[in-house]
Amino acid sequence: MTTLLIGVLGFFFVYAVYIAALTARCAHAPEEYLDGGSSLPPWCFMFAGTGIVIAGIGLYDHFLLLALYGLQYNHVAMGVVLAALAGVLVHKRLLLAARISGHRTLGNLLSAYYGSVTLRVLTLVLVLLFAVPFAGQSLSRLGAIIASATGDTIERAEAIWACAFFLFLAGVIGGWRGTIYAIGAQAVVLVTLIVFVGVGGAAGLGWTALVYGDVPAPEGILSEAIPGVMQYSAGIGKEETIGGLWTTTAVFSQALAFIGIVLSPAFTLLGMTTRPPAHYAFKQVWLTAGLATGVLLLAAPFIGAGVALAHSGPLREATVSYTGVLTALVDVDAMLAVGFVLMLAAALQIVVAFFAQSGASLFVIELLGRDLLPDLSPDGRRLTARVTLGVIYLTIALLAAYAPLLAEIGGGLALSLSVQLLPALIGLCWVRWISRSAVLAGLIFGILLVLFTEPLGLLVFESLFVDLPWGRWPLTIHSAGWGLAFNIAACLLASIFTARDAERGTRDRLHDVFLREHRQDLGGPAARGAKWSLILVWAFFALGPGAILGNRFFSDPMFSELTPALLLPSLWVWQILFWLLGVFIAWWLAYKAGMSVLNRPIVFRLQLEPERPSFEQGAPRWLEQFVRRVAPRQTS
Amino acid sequence: MENGTDEGSDAWGRLDRHALVMSIWLAIGFVAVALLARGLQAMEAIPVFGAFTVVITGFVAHVIINAVSHTHFSAREVALGLVAYALGLIGFLLALLLRSEPALALFVPLSIGLLVLAVVAIFYMVTHFGARGAFRAFDVISDFGPDEVRRRDTQG
Repeated sequence: MTTLLIGVLGFFFVYAVYIAALTARCAHAPEEYLDGGSSLPPWCFMFAGTGIVIAGIGLYDHFLLLALYGLQYNHVAMGVVLAALAGVLVHKRLLLAARISGHRTLGNLLSAYYGSVTLRVLTLVLVLLFAVPFAGQSLSRLGAIIASATGDTIERAEAIWACAFFLFLAGVIGGWRGTIYAIGAQAVVLVTLIVFVGVGGAAGLGWTALVYGDVPAPEGILSEAIPGVMQYSAGIGKEETIGGLWTTTAVFSQALAFIGIVLSPAFTLLGMTTRPPAHYAFKQVWLTAGLATGVLLLAAPFIGAGVALAHSGPLREATVSYTGVLTALVDVDAMLAVGFVLMLAAALQIVVAFFAQSGASLFVIELLGRDLLPDLSPDGRRLTARVTLGVIYLTIALLAAYAPLLAEIGGGLALSLSVQLLPALIGLCWVRWISRSAVLAGLIFGILLVLFTEPLGLLVFESLFVDLPWGRWPLTIHSAGWGLAFNIAACLLASIFTARDAERGTRDRLHDVFLREHRQDLGGPAARGAKWSLILVWAFFALGPGAILGNRFFSDPMFSELTPALLLPSLWVWQILFWLLGVFIAWWLAYKAGMSVLNRPIVFRLQLEPERPSFEQGAPRWLEQFVRRVAPRQTS
Repeated sequence: MENGTDEGSDAWGRLDRHALVMSIWLAIGFVAVALLARGLQAMEAIPVFGAFTVVITGFVAHVIINAVSHTHFSAREVALGLVAYALGLIGFLLALLLRSEPALALFVPLSIGLLVLAVVAIFYMVTHFGARGAFRAFDVISDFGPDEVRRRDTQG
């Protein structure tokens, strides 16, 4: 299997370099290296975007968690529908705002709209988190799976350096466009292989035991039921949960974290550099909400069951791994085993390549090219981007090979912090009364809550001061949920007092253009009410407390004395039903309400400029002088 | 300058389509090869049928890409497809001549698969170019024959 695996992986690396070389030969301007000339074909956004969403939720861990928790963890796949709905809400307006104002990146756009340097710095911090620890975490797993599959013929560190080198080679040649082409191809491979491996394993290895409820589960874990709406647990590391971790609040708050993928600066760069009409609707409705969620809901549980069935010894979080399932697959068919490794490798490579490449582009556009080295020629900017890419890959390879724990701790923050941008983005796209102060106040609370419900904050605080009474994700609420709840509350509260602040004029100008030229017609009051109430009802039953009804609704219904014979676990049927309803809602909003359909040409017509200097009068003088030195700007 | 921009967008357009086609065939190709290998190894008909079905799905996806991007199969794609098909056919015939066990055991699924592939390609050509156009695509004689020479001469 080792030779076959190396051959197949090598073939895919050669393809990435080949398509990168073709891209480099077609490029006409050096700037195209950074953003693909802002004319990526729509299929790139469709395929690559879908692949990034699937890979971004952490497919490697997804199967292991499915093996541990069964269908209660499978419920988090519904979060992909929520991510699609978030995309419907913001992506089209972001593209409009970017094209209308001439800004190419999320950081620059938010900074110009709210007149806040802090928001640009924050998005750069997010870019850094995604580009280094988050990508490093994936690279570390990539090395681990290759080492495991080859029986340590290729050691973990060797695999990490080899993969990092080839991904860097493709990225340094092809730039943003070449990388997205390669990711698009990997995404198709990923989805195809999830189905192929799922079906192949079910046919050849008896993974259909999932359907009959014959899959082993760890002691005390309810593998076919959600263990409650919420558990009053102090959090992971402090107190054990009963029946499993994935209560409805855990599922819903984890789903909020998935939104962080589509709101990340890297993903929005992909959206903004796609050529209009970007066909966002097709991607969001049919590919993300439909295909990606469907594949995760229907095929992934079989693979999770396969991991559990092939595991030898007691199934626990500390012991669960892919070693058993790889051995079982090799015994049946070497190509199926290669397909399994290739599927995981594709998901992990998508994360590494996408966030490293977007990190290099965003650092050059938002920081190096704008503030630190503003006089760089286009060729110089391309060179700077290539050097930055090299530095990023070197850092993530070092981190993955020698400090994987640091990558885990840092990478765990990325999605939860990314989703904290939601109020700022809703303000930019829809709600003009959300002010800069409100966004910043919300972000401060949100970030603090995320930090103190994730290992980084807990470890630092507890090692410096005293032990905290809570651990990771207290009350079975994911850090993204904690952060977002406080973020939104603080944002709304601050907006009451600052809705008509000094920057309102800038915000009004953009929203006036939206109203005048790209008005969103959601219908009359009844239609509008129907849309929003349907979403809320769906969210309540699909992801919220109502999902608990799914445990027995189709196996032991409370409304009938009959016992239905569905041949499937009740919770799984509930998940499939609400997935289909979720696709319908996404379709209604994206197509029928036109929230993701671009039907008018976009004209650049608005110079979004902050109406106040970057630093207020009260800012510390030394800080102001320092920033003015590194970021000279006209304030007249 | 304008020509340069047009040429540039043409080049991007060609590359966009090429990358899309490659994306489809990379995934399809791996699955088809895996299924075929499985079928030949275990001498099972279902994986072999599966492999041919997957290849036909790839072909249909390729046709859809052509329709969406308003293009046809490029000369290289046609050549690659014909060479792959010819190699498959020759390999199958050689295996039969050599009395290879998998080829004999899987005679029916392999011959049906190869036949269906040919039928699908011909069906595409007939529906796309019409019966006469489909025939002309293979009519090498007229390309180099006296009629073509006469036509070239009259056109100068």
